[in-house]
Amino acid sequence: MSVFLSSLGFGLITAAVLALATVGFTMQFAVTNVLNLAYGSVMINSAFVTYFLNVHTRLNAWVALGGGVATGAIVSYLINRFIFTPFQRRNLPPITIVMVALGVDLCGTFGLQAIVGGSYFSFRQSPGRLWHFWGMYFSTLQLTIIGIAVVVLALVHWLLKYTRLGKAMRATSANMNLARNSGVRTQMVISTTWIISGALCGLAGTVFAMDTGVFDATSAQLYIVLLLAAMFLGGPGEPYGAMLGAVTIGVATEVSAGFINPQYKEVIAFVVLIGMLMFRPYGIFGKEKTL
Amino acid sequence: MNAILFYLATVIVYGSVDAMACLALNVEFGFAGLSNFGFIIFQAVGAYVAAALSMGPWQTSNGGFQQYVFGWHLPFPFPWIGAALAGGLLALPFVFLVGKRLRGDFAAVGLLVSAVLLNQLVNNYVPLFNGAAGISIVPAPFQGFFNPQGLAYQFVYGALAVVLSIAVYFILRRITESPYGRSLRAMRDNDVVADALGKNIRVQRTSIMVLGGMIAGLSGAILVGFINLWAPGAWGYAETIVLFAAIIVGGAGNHKGAVLGAILVPLGFEEITRFIPPLSNPSLIPALQWVAIGLLIILFLWFRPNGILPERRRILSGETSRSPDPVVADEASEPLINLGKIDQMDFRSLLRLEGTATQHDVVLSTNKLSRAFHGVTVVSDVSIEIQRGRLTGLIGPNGAGKSTTLAMLAGTLAPTGGTIFYEGRDVTSMPSHERARAGIIRTFQLASEFKKLTVLENLVCAIPHQSGDSFRGASRGKRYWGREDHENIERAKEMLDGFGLSQYADSYAGGLSGGQRRLVEIMRALLAEPKVLLLDEPMAGVHPNLAHKIGDQLTRLVDSGMTIAMVEHELAIMDAFCDPVIVLAEGRVLAQGTMAELRAKEEVVEAYLVG
Repeated sequence: MSVFLSSLGFGLITAAVLALATVGFTMQFAVTNVLNLAYGSVMINSAFVTYFLNVHTRLNAWVALGGGVATGAIVSYLINRFIFTPFQRRNLPPITIVMVALGVDLCGTFGLQAIVGGSYFSFRQSPGRLWHFWGMYFSTLQLTIIGIAVVVLALVHWLLKYTRLGKAMRATSANMNLARNSGVRTQMVISTTWIISGALCGLAGTVFAMDTGVFDATSAQLYIVLLLAAMFLGGPGEPYGAMLGAVTIGVATEVSAGFINPQYKEVIAFVVLIGMLMFRPYGIFGKEKTL
Repeated sequence: MNAILFYLATVIVYGSVDAMACLALNVEFGFAGLSNFGFIIFQAVGAYVAAALSMGPWQTSNGGFQQYVFGWHLPFPFPWIGAALAGGLLALPFVFLVGKRLRGDFAAVGLLVSAVLLNQLVNNYVPLFNGAAGISIVPAPFQGFFNPQGLAYQFVYGALAVVLSIAVYFILRRITESPYGRSLRAMRDNDVVADALGKNIRVQRTSIMVLGGMIAGLSGAILVGFINLWAPGAWGYAETIVLFAAIIVGGAGNHKGAVLGAILVPLGFEEITRFIPPLSNPSLIPALQWVAIGLLIILFLWFRPNGILPERRRILSGETSRSPDPVVADEASEPLINLGKIDQMDFRSLLRLEGTATQHDVVLSTNKLSRAFHGVTVVSDVSIEIQRGRLTGLIGPNGAGKSTTLAMLAGTLAPTGGTIFYEGRDVTSMPSHERARAGIIRTFQLASEFKKLTVLENLVCAIPHQSGDSFRGASRGKRYWGREDHENIERAKEMLDGFGLSQYADSYAGGLSGGQRRLVEIMRALLAEPKVLLLDEPMAGVHPNLAHKIGDQLTRLVDSGMTIAMVEHELAIMDAFCDPVIVLAEGRVLAQGTMAELRAKEEVVEAYLVG
């Protein structure tokens, strides 16, 4: 029981970080139909910007976090505007865009490695005191991360549900041509979505690095497995599905790690992903798209 | 001097291994349209199996410091054969991922993630693969008889590798330059349409994955026999991306392009960086190497998407001089008004129709057929009967469910309720390609030509019962299927001539105008020798004069015993040719009868004819 509870605690932290990341990832897919496999490299680049602001200019970690978020937003916007959009205008099949995304990922990850080198880094601030609830242990840092995730995801919910922009995003995602013909400025909506989802990506990358403790330029490379599993579980392009998928995958990987070999904790995400792709590629609640 | 010769032998072996891998991946990706992002695991598994088969039992050899399975101490060439078999077998579980109609990019990420995860498992599970340390002291073939460190041995090994990659080149060419290869490329361009023409997508994809896996496995075996060690770190998922970069650079769909790409990218990158002096930051060069691979992919896809050696256009008409790339004509100036000599064509002999329509029994029928999308019912309880030897029309306002009904009849779309009967059999759950082979052929409302096949290839690939249109048939070579293919090409040329499109025989179908593509689709459907032909707005974009001549020919076809059902908006066509006509509105059958009878019915006029 105690193993279960303590691993559940780890699961909640993993889930909080994963939910932030997956919501951004799935929003990008929703409005542009791109599986942005370069997402992990943007995450880790944002984390490094936060790190250098924090360590070299001695900014407070939470102020420096703003730099990471801004990096994610700007870089994501630029990648979409100057790489994905021009390729998509040529009406290429989705697989070509995925290859382009892999190319961007290699450039992003290893470009960073060329600059910072192959060594490991860690943030200076201490994780704070240890809190103890119902058999679960959290550091102050971890509680802060969970708090940030809850607040930010609530904001995303408000944005999608109660603002004109959110409505325009959902319309663009459902049917871009119809949305454009109904007067939605789809290009503007797409750009805004990439900025917002990029900010989520930068935030997720930074808290991911803070939570991991030690990280290097390639730390987020395998994160794409968790991201894809969480997204496909909730249905690609569904922000609420992504939140649910992230919580499920986050908790499931950590709880399974508590009972089996922790080195295999991604296996459960992998099994979920392959199962979803084989049997329900549009998510548990997702609907089949028409031909 | 000796050092240079040793180095040369190494380069020859590496180059052959890379060339084989790129050739195999190119057949999967460039010809069959399978984006196998997990390709590297096939090579890795082949290498591992070759190593584990050639080594002795782990407990006793080399003091038992490494663990692995097998340990059978098999002599050459059995470990290599085992490697090829293992690569082929490994393909089978992935067939469930690529065999169904999953979006290409979704299947690709599934394969990518599989490669990532398998690598991680291997890294951590010691009893099977000795964990991250991998296996070393793998015996070289014949090392008991010759000295593997000798220069002569190394060159003989290199020569063997080269000979094997040349053999792979010719085997693959034999498969791809056959009617079967044509079907593979058709599937690559549009799998739904290939399926509707009777190509078994699952079988085609499976055989190519297995073939590719076997070659990958063999190439891994060649590598491991030469370098004598195997470690999971060398087989990361990103190595697959390097191979994809090679194919993009060399030219997808071109075997020579794959070899060129193999020499330029994996081999070139590996070898050039050897000559850069060591730097203070040891990870800088490998990091920049990856950045260069990423840039290469992006820049080539943008500036030269077809690679250095683009896919070759197959000239089937035999007249090499007359193959202009079609000017994408605007509809107005289209030469379709000259109409060919369609009136004089004798489809009866061209399509080998023998019967005459004497009885009009029901050949295809539905019982309470329904289909819902997102909970919205598009077709509900449609029960219709299509009679043999008649040209049945389907009309109705937009969104009436005409195309959906047609798609369900052909098996492109599964119904959510109801049953379909064909010649007295329940075919509701029969897959689309089987229905096509049983004689139900459909056309599509949206453009459905195979874009990177020539017009003539589009037509020929639809002809059923081709002896070269299977893996086995193709592997028996041109002597086996060549004569028959020649006859098929002549038939297709005759058809093309009748429709007045001979001058486009060797143009890519994707470059034609909208009206021309319609005609290609009608011709293709006819050459598929349908018993029941389902046409979805066949005349849209076709000049009215030509449309009427086609209509006349369709009437002659039904008089010869063919059954045709046609969705069409043009009421003049319905008036002239269709009897009976079924009216659909809001997913239900509203009325049925001759056009004259329908015009007399108030509810039909209200629902459709005026509005």
